[in-house]
Amino acid sequence: MTPTLSHRLDAVARKVVPAALGVFFVLISAIPFYLPGFGPVAPNFVLMAVFFWAVHRIDLFTSITVFFIGLLLDILVGTPPGINAAVLVLVRTVAASQGKVFRGKSFLVLWWGFGLVALASGLVIWALTAIYHLTFISPLPIIFQMTMTVAAFPFLAWIFARTHQKLFQHV
Amino acid sequence: MSKRGGSSAIWFAVPAKVLLQRFAFLFLVLAAFGIMLLSKAETIVVEKVSTVVVDVFAPIMDVLSRPAAAVNDAVKTVRGLANLREENIRLTHENERLLGWQEAARRLASQNQALQSLLDFKPGPNSQSIATRVIADSGGAFVRSVVVSAGNRDGVRKGQAAVSGAGLAGRVATAGYRSARILLITDINSRVPVLIESSRDRAILSGDNSAMPRLTFLPANASIKAGDRVVTSGHGGVFPPGLQVGQIVITGDGIMRVKPNVSFDQLEFVRLIDFAAVSPVVPQEEIAVPPKKAAAR
Repeated sequence: MTPTLSHRLDAVARKVVPAALGVFFVLISAIPFYLPGFGPVAPNFVLMAVFFWAVHRIDLFTSITVFFIGLLLDILVGTPPGINAAVLVLVRTVAASQGKVFRGKSFLVLWWGFGLVALASGLVIWALTAIYHLTFISPLPIIFQMTMTVAAFPFLAWIFARTHQKLFQHV
Repeated sequence: MSKRGGSSAIWFAVPAKVLLQRFAFLFLVLAAFGIMLLSKAETIVVEKVSTVVVDVFAPIMDVLSRPAAAVNDAVKTVRGLANLREENIRLTHENERLLGWQEAARRLASQNQALQSLLDFKPGPNSQSIATRVIADSGGAFVRSVVVSAGNRDGVRKGQAAVSGAGLAGRVATAGYRSARILLITDINSRVPVLIESSRDRAILSGDNSAMPRLTFLPANASIKAGDRVVTSGHGGVFPPGLQVGQIVITGDGIMRVKPNVSFDQLEFVRLIDFAAVSPVVPQEEIAVPPKKAAAR
C-alpha cells in the first residue's frame, strides 16, 4: 500500500468511523434486551460516547454528526424528534469547552464531570419532554436512567479508550 | 503587497471559521427546537420522515436484535428445564381445568349459535392477524413504544391493535413499508376505551409511562374492586371489543390502575389484528389496498 493511499484511507476512516460508531450506539440503545425493567432505565450509551470524544478528540465528532446522531436516536427510540439532538449538541459544546479540565487528570475527575453533565442532560430532557407533552411527567425514570448511565460510564469509557487507541491514535 | 494580502486572508479566515463553528452550534440547537415545534404542529411531515428512517434501519435492527433474542430464548429454555417437574404438574392440573372450560365453551358456542339464528344476528367481520417480531424497544425514559418488522407490505395499517398472547399490548402508531411503531398501552399518549368485565362499566385506560396505566373517566357509581378484569370496549372502532387488557389494582393513593396482562419486558413477538378494516375512523383510501400477505415476518 502506498503511503498516499493509506493516508487517504486514514482520512476517510477519520471521517466515517466516528459517525458509524455513533450510529452503532444509537442502534444498541434501540434494540430490545429482554431484561426485566431494563428498557426504561437502560444507560444512555450515546451520551457517554459524545461526552468521551468531545473531551478527548473534539475533531472526531463534529457538531453536525452529533446533531444527526441525536436526531436518529430520537427517531428510532421514539422520543419527540429534536430533544436528543439538542441535548447532545449542548453536551458536545460544554464537554469540549471544559476539555482542558479533564484531559490528563485522574479518571475520577472525568467521571465527576460526566456526572454533572448527565445530571444537567437529564434535567433538560425531562423539562423538554414535559413541555412537549404539555403535562407534568414524573422525573423518576430519568433519574434512574441517568444513575445507570453514570454507573456504567467507567466500563464504557474503558471500551472507548481502547477503541480510541486502536483506531485513532495515528489519525 | 502579496504578504499583506495573505495575512489579511488569514485574518479573515480564522474568525470566519470560529464564527462558523459558533454559528453551527447555535444553528443546530435552533434547528433541533425547530424540529420539535414542527413535529408538534405539522405531525404528518415529521411522521413520514421518521417512518422512512425507521424503515431504512429496520433490517439492521432486525439482525442486531437477534443475538439478544437468542440469549433470552436460551435463558428461558434453561429455566424451563430446571422447573420441568413442577411445570409438568402445574400444566396437568391446568389441563384438567381447561378441559372443563372447553366443555363449557362448546356448550355456550352451540347455545350462542342457536340464539344468534333466533335473533337473525349479523356477526362482526372476521379479523385477520399478522404475527411479527419486535426489533426495537424504547431505550428512552419517557417513551413506551416498540418497532416491529412488519409494515405496509405485510398489511400493517395505522390503528391496528397489537396483542401478545395474554392480552392487548398497544396499537400501531405509524406504519412504514417494512416496519411499524407500536405505541404501548403504558405510553403517556395512549388512551384505550375499556370495559370492566364484571360490572360492564366503561372507562378510558390512560397510560402515564408507569408500568400500570390509570383508569380514567370511570362513572362515579362504578362498583369496582381490585382484581376485576378489564377488556377493550371496542368503542371508537380502533380496537376489537373483548380483548383482555389486565386486572384492576388500587394503589395506596386510591387511584385505580390496571396491571397489564402483557409482560412488556419480554415482548418478543406481537400479533397485529386487522380490525380497522371496518372502522369508520380509517380513511377509505387506506382500506382500499388489500393486504398482500399476512405471513409472520
